[in-house]
Amino acid sequence: MDVLELIRQQVTTHPVVLYMKGSPQFPQCGFSGNAVRILNALGVKDYFSVDVLQNPEIRQNIKDYANWPTIPQLYINGEFVGGSDIMAEMYQSGELQKLLGV
Amino acid sequence: MVTPESIEHNIKNGMNTTYLSVDGDGRHFEAVVVSEEFAGKSRIQRHQRVYQTLGDRMRQDVHALSIKTFTPQEWQEKQ
Repeated sequence: MDVLELIRQQVTTHPVVLYMKGSPQFPQCGFSGNAVRILNALGVKDYFSVDVLQNPEIRQNIKDYANWPTIPQLYINGEFVGGSDIMAEMYQSGELQKLLGV
Repeated sequence: MVTPESIEHNIKNGMNTTYLSVDGDGRHFEAVVVSEEFAGKSRIQRHQRVYQTLGDRMRQDVHALSIKTFTPQEWQEKQ
């Protein structure tokens, strides 16, 4: 399957998807760690996470998918929400809570 | 070796800014960008605009760049 199509399927079949370096248990980068901490703080547990370090093709193509050159990337209901800076801003303002319905 | 100055140079040349600061230790960088261009833009669009000024550097040598964006008005309110 085409990688961009695989990504499209991942983000549309799971309500919350996080592309990150490492796993939620063992993030391999500070920004991915921040993203995981924010989701944890909001009590979001059953999100779908993809370790781009284990998936080099996804790592390259996810940057084109959202026209966004960095990891992590958060998707909610198929929509790209942002990276860890934007997640932190939206967490502080309460917007992320609204988007997630928590 | 990536320097904060080189990142600042790219951003400054790539867009209109009224205030810009870039700090970093060679691996992790933090940019504060104040620009009229952000008015009416979403957070995603603002960051994309800054990434655009860095072009392929974002994919190659700049791995960890944290960005905060403000319009001049937002920046003033923050002070």
